[in-house]
This record gives sequence, structure tokens and C-alpha cells, in this order.
Amino acid sequence: MSAVRAWLLVDVPRSRWQARCQRFFLGWLAFRQNAGAVAGLAIVAALVAAALLAPWISGSTGVVPDLGNRLQPPGAAFWFGTDELGRDIFDRIVWGSRITLYIVGLVTVIVVPIGLAVGVVAGYVGGWLDSALMRLTDIFLAFPRLILALAFVAALGPGLENAVLAIALTAWSPYARIARAEALTLRHSDFILAARSQGIPHHRVLAGHVAPMCMSSVIVRLTLDMAGIILTAAGLGFLGLGAQPPTPEWGAMIALGRDYLLDQWWVPAFPGLAILVVSLGFNLLGDGLRDVLDPKSRS
Amino acid sequence: MGRVVRSVAAMGCVVALGLVRAAAAPPDDIFVMAKDVGDVITLDPAEVFEFTAGEIVANVYDRLMMFEPEHPGQIAGGVAENYAISDDGRTIVFRIRDGLRFHSGNPVRPEDVEFSLERVVKLNRTPAFIVTQFGWNAGNVEDLIQVVDARHLRIEVTEGLSPGLILNALSAGVASVVDRELVLAHAADGDLGHAWLKTHSAGSGAFRLGRWKANEYIALEANPHYRRGAPAMRRVFLRHVPEPSAQRLLLERGDVDMARNLTPDQIGALAEHADLAVDSYPKGAIVYLAANAGHPVLGNSAVVQALRYAIDYRGMADSFLAGQFAVHQAFWPAGLWAGYTATPYELDIEKARSLLEDAGLEPFDVRIDTLTSSPFPQIAQSLQATFAQAGIRSRIVMQDGRTLWPRYRARKHELIIARWSPDYMDPHANADAFARNPDNRPEAGLAGVLAWRNAWASEDINAKTIEARDTRDLAARERMYQELQRRLQTEGPYAIMFQQIDQIVRRRHVEGFVSGVNFDHVYYRMVTK
Repeated sequence: MSAVRAWLLVDVPRSRWQARCQRFFLGWLAFRQNAGAVAGLAIVAALVAAALLAPWISGSTGVVPDLGNRLQPPGAAFWFGTDELGRDIFDRIVWGSRITLYIVGLVTVIVVPIGLAVGVVAGYVGGWLDSALMRLTDIFLAFPRLILALAFVAALGPGLENAVLAIALTAWSPYARIARAEALTLRHSDFILAARSQGIPHHRVLAGHVAPMCMSSVIVRLTLDMAGIILTAAGLGFLGLGAQPPTPEWGAMIALGRDYLLDQWWVPAFPGLAILVVSLGFNLLGDGLRDVLDPKSRS
Repeated sequence: MGRVVRSVAAMGCVVALGLVRAAAAPPDDIFVMAKDVGDVITLDPAEVFEFTAGEIVANVYDRLMMFEPEHPGQIAGGVAENYAISDDGRTIVFRIRDGLRFHSGNPVRPEDVEFSLERVVKLNRTPAFIVTQFGWNAGNVEDLIQVVDARHLRIEVTEGLSPGLILNALSAGVASVVDRELVLAHAADGDLGHAWLKTHSAGSGAFRLGRWKANEYIALEANPHYRRGAPAMRRVFLRHVPEPSAQRLLLERGDVDMARNLTPDQIGALAEHADLAVDSYPKGAIVYLAANAGHPVLGNSAVVQALRYAIDYRGMADSFLAGQFAVHQAFWPAGLWAGYTATPYELDIEKARSLLEDAGLEPFDVRIDTLTSSPFPQIAQSLQATFAQAGIRSRIVMQDGRTLWPRYRARKHELIIARWSPDYMDPHANADAFARNPDNRPEAGLAGVLAWRNAWASEDINAKTIEARDTRDLAARERMYQELQRRLQTEGPYAIMFQQIDQIVRRRHVEGFVSGVNFDHVYYRMVTK
């Protein structure tokens, strides 16, 4: 163990691979100092574990009504109680973690490439293309996210995929802004000029040198944004425009459970708690990652 | 982090506002209800077609014929004292009561009744079909409705309708008698006072409209000169409270006298409360599943029959619908004349499966459209589970009414779970919607007819519906409607599931509230506290 540690902490790395491992390890050491960030990581890890292991953790599929067991309070048989159709709320939350991850994963897959491409090209190329792309970004930035998502879903029809699409279409613009700002500072740096003078074409400079340098800010922004994405998806679900029943999407569970708030508090409370904890987890993780990844905040 | 904190704080504020907004108990002569009144879009009786507005109009206007709160099941003269029907059943002469006055002080004359009915036909808004089915139109209505003398009015119908149907139709909201002088004084651009009447009242009922503030409240003021005596309550106040939980809090604290939209589970929890009482009123509203016969699979009547056996009627009625819906499987509500109470269907998965197998069908996917509000999502999920057992995979799509109804009216649905309430108290009202479809072509656009919306038509049923409509012998007519309902149970594109029961919770000392079978037979004038 100590040999590995020594290898990771040696003053002069002997290979590129060792240097990379060192950077990662030093980052982890810094990250570990931040208790909140570690808690956030634990929450996100738990979410991923719940999603992966859902069939083994839960006792049911969480969608089949059992009218004889409706509105049972939390207890040994049903840890989080049962809902208005007799389904185990714990099982539904566990299965719902897959939907939450699906939403944030899909949004990430759509948002990061679009935002990064638009921002990097605008910042690196400059000129009229920069103006055109940034004005487009401004337009999307100017709309309130939930309202724009509502309009998209109204046009495309309610459903989880459309909700994800709507969120993604409204969420990419800040990433373009960040990537452009980074690209602007990089375009005249020595290593870019060196690469150009060796005859490397623009598109390879963009993909190989500029884009990777923007990634850390984008990742930080993304983790901080996750909570917003989850809340927007939950909001759409709450308004009946996101996941359709019986899908155990957390926002939709609150929406259908809110009539029971006073007497059967557990029906809306546990999915609400799940949203709160997971949003908090992503935020804490994002804060921690920023401290590690952002060069400007390093002491 | 900031985003989360803001969201939590916002949520906290919303909850706190609901809990803390303090108000004193209503005074002894003011009756306050908590109700979802967001459906009100107009208060002109010639246009009103919504639940809450129908109720307001019933309390503000006297109609030509009425169902009085003292005898809610029995049709009686309203503005009309009595009537005489000609031998051929096509002419009815009404005698208007002596000494009636509008809220404005103007006397109620046959001319006002004539104006009110002509106005409905000429404006031709959604509910106008209730009287235009008499053969009335803008061109002939002035000839067919005639003032005979200072106390008498004669109406003629060009169709050979049963007199019972005509009198029932003339007890609907469109037969509300409006104050001709007052309305014409506010007419603009030949709109017969429509724009003004949307937000004002000109009636002779037990109350007059004080103020309607959309999505906030509706205030009614008592009419001290009402023909059956002044109401005990000086003012009736309908406070817009869309959330059932908020209604419950207000009621428990005594801020309101009555809550109108509580869920069965909430009512179960309040049953033991010493200061509260629960009343149940069977209503005419019916919840049904409809299958679009234009769909390649659902057009097969064996499939619809299989669906009828794949519904857990009893399980739903005994659990999340308990107390607010009863199992009912015919298109005309139980408890009314010609009501049909047979319930031949119950959950029988084996039978549903064998019906599908006999029809030679592969398992198939289907989309279920329904409303976002309780209990529709719960019903849809119960159906989805039992359909799955029978081998039918389904996908639920919830929408609000503004999205769902245009889709249904355009025949774009596959399966839909919806609610229907009769427009007037004659079985023809529902037979005309569920059974009769005179023109099944898509371009016919008979969007008000449920049979057309579901692309289903039967020549034989059409003929039987008309025959029942025109039959004058009451016993024969009742048999015909029951036969129609029995046939629709197997031949129609519907699985009719439930009849609604209206449950209200009131403070124990508040008495005299009456809610009849039809959606607008709700009366405030006998309320005391």
C-alpha cells in the first residue's frame, strides 16, 4: 500500500501515466478534506447503487396496485409505508432512482456536447460566428427554464423522454457561455500557437487542446446544475407533464400524493425527501469538485 | 447550494401561507363554502355549461320549470304556475305566476320568458342544443314562441317529442328567465346583453350575484323578496380553494362552513370529528371507459367486451373511491326515472383472456388517455394493472381538460377514461350522447355526441333512440330506455363503471344545503346556521 502511495507522491513522475495518477490522487486528497463534498459523493454513490441494484433491494416492481394494502403507515413491513394504490413507497423510490439517473444522464449527454461545441467554436473562431452563436445562446438564456420546458412539453406531448428533451434544450446555454469564456483565454496561448505552427488543423486543435481545457469548469457547473435538473424534472412530473403513471418518478409521486399530506404524510413526504437529499448530494459534490478542479480557487 | 435553499424556502412559504392565513369564523348570516371554482368562465345562463357556474345560475335565476329543493326529484313549475299541452303534444301554453319580480324590481312577464328562450337560440352557445332540438332556430323561433296575453306564453315544437322530454329540457339552465328590460339596457353591438351577463345577473331567483372575481371568490346576495320567502343567509360566499388539503384545514378551523371537494380518504379521517358532519348525495355524473371504434383492434366488439371483464369495479369502489363513487354500468344514472341498475360485469380475468383468444388476437399495446385530477390517475392505474393480467399492455397519458377534450372531440384517442353528466333530467339527454350517432363520417363533426367521438354507430340503436324520445306513454318509454341501456352494455363502445356520489363536509350546525341528482340542482336558499 505504502509503495503505491510513494509512487503516487514521488517528486518527479517518470511517465505520463504516473503524472496523471498523481494529479488525480492529489485532487482526491484535497477533496477528502471537505466533509460536505465526501457526503455528497456518498449520496450520489448511494443513488447509483440503488439504481443498479433496484431488483435486489426492492421487494416488488413498485407499479402493481395492491388495493388491500393501501395507505399503510411506515413500519417493519413497509419501511416508507404504502401509497394510495397500496404500492410500497420504498420500492417506488428505489425504482425511481433509475428514472432520476436516466434524466440527469440523458440531459448530460445532450447538454454537454451541444454547449461545449457552441461555446468552444464561438470563443476560438470569434468574429461574426461568435456573435451569431452567442446571440442564439442569449435567447435561450433569457427564457425561464421551467416555462420554456412547459412550452416544449405542451408541443411534444407529455412523457419522460419529451421532458428530458425539453430540459436539455433549455439547459445547454450556460455551458456555451462557460466554454466560450475559457476558449477566449486559450486561443492566443503559446501551446495553441505552437500546435498551429506545426500545421495541426483547426478542428483538431479545438477537439484535442481547447475542449479538454474547458472540461473542468463544465463538469463543476454540471454537478451544480444536477439539482436544478432534478427539480425541473420533478416540477414537470408534478404538473403531470413528465413521467406518466405508474412510473415511479419522484415529482409525479408527490403530485399524486399531495391529497394525503395531512393524514398519510408519508405518501408525499418520502419522495420529497428523496428529491431533497439527492439534490443536496449533487450540490455538495459540485462544491467539492469546484474546490479541486478550479485553478483559480486553489490556494 | 443556493438553488436548493431557495427552493426549500419557497416551499416552506407556500405551506406556511396555507396554514397561517388566519381568518375569523363567518358571521351567523353568511354562508361560506370552500370549493374549486376555477371552472367558471361565464355566468350568462345562455352559455353556462360548467359545473360551478351551473350551480350559481340555479340559485340566481328561476327557470320556466324547476326542481325545487323541497322536492329535488320532482319537476314543478318555476316561473310557470302551470301548463297545458295540446293533444298532438306539439304546443304547450304556460301560465306565468302572478306578482313575481326580478331583483331589479321589474315584474316577470311572458315577454321576459319569450326573450330568454329566443336569446338562447339566437346566441347559439354550447348548451343551446337543449332547446334547438325542439326544431327551433334563429329564423323560426320568434314564430314558435308567442306571448298570448299578459299572463300566458305559447311554445310550439316542430319535432314530435315526448312532452316529458320538453318539460325536462325547459328545466335546464338555458330556461332561466332573465330580466328583458335590464339585459337590453346593457346590450352592445346586438349581443343581447351577452357580454354584460357574463359577469352580472338579471334574474328573479333566491339570490343575486354580488361579485365574481375569477379564481378568487363568488359572492351571492340574498333576494329578500323571493317568491318562496327570503333565504336565511344574507350572503353566500364561494371561496376558491383548489387544494383539498387546504379546504380541509379551513373547515377544521371553522373558517368556512362547508368544504365541497374533499377526497374519500380525507373524509374518512374527518368522520370522527365532533363539530363536522358528512352528507352524501347521489349525482348524475357517470365515469366510463370509452374505446375508439376507429382503432384497428378496439373496433372489434369482442375486445371491448374483454375490457369490461378486465376492470376491478368492486375493488376500486371499495378502496380509493369509497363513498364517492358507486358501481354503475348503464348510461342513465340510478335513482332517476328510467334508471337501469343491472351490473352484469365484474372482474373476471379468465373470461377476458378467453374472449381475446376467441377473437384470435395477439397481445397488443394501447394508450389510455385521462385527466390529471383525482380519481382519474388512480382509476387508470388500476385498469392498467388488470388489463395487464388479461394480456393487454397499456400506457397512461394524463392531460388537463384543455388538452384532453380537443383530442377526444377529434377522435384521436384510443382508450379514454372520462366523466359525463346529463345536461337535463330526461334519459334522452344521455341516450342522445351515448347511443345515437346519426352521421358517423369524420367530417360530420358531431363533437357533442360520445358515440360519434368513439366512431361507433348502429342504425338500429339510432332508430330505437328516436322511438323512445317520441313515445308519449310513460311506462312504454321507460321500458324502451331500459332496453337501450341493456343493449349498450354489450354493443356500445363503452365500459361504464361508476356513478358519482357527492360528499360534502359541513360544520355540524350548518343545515339545509340541498344537492340534487343533476350537477346544477344545488340550492343554497334553505341553508341555516
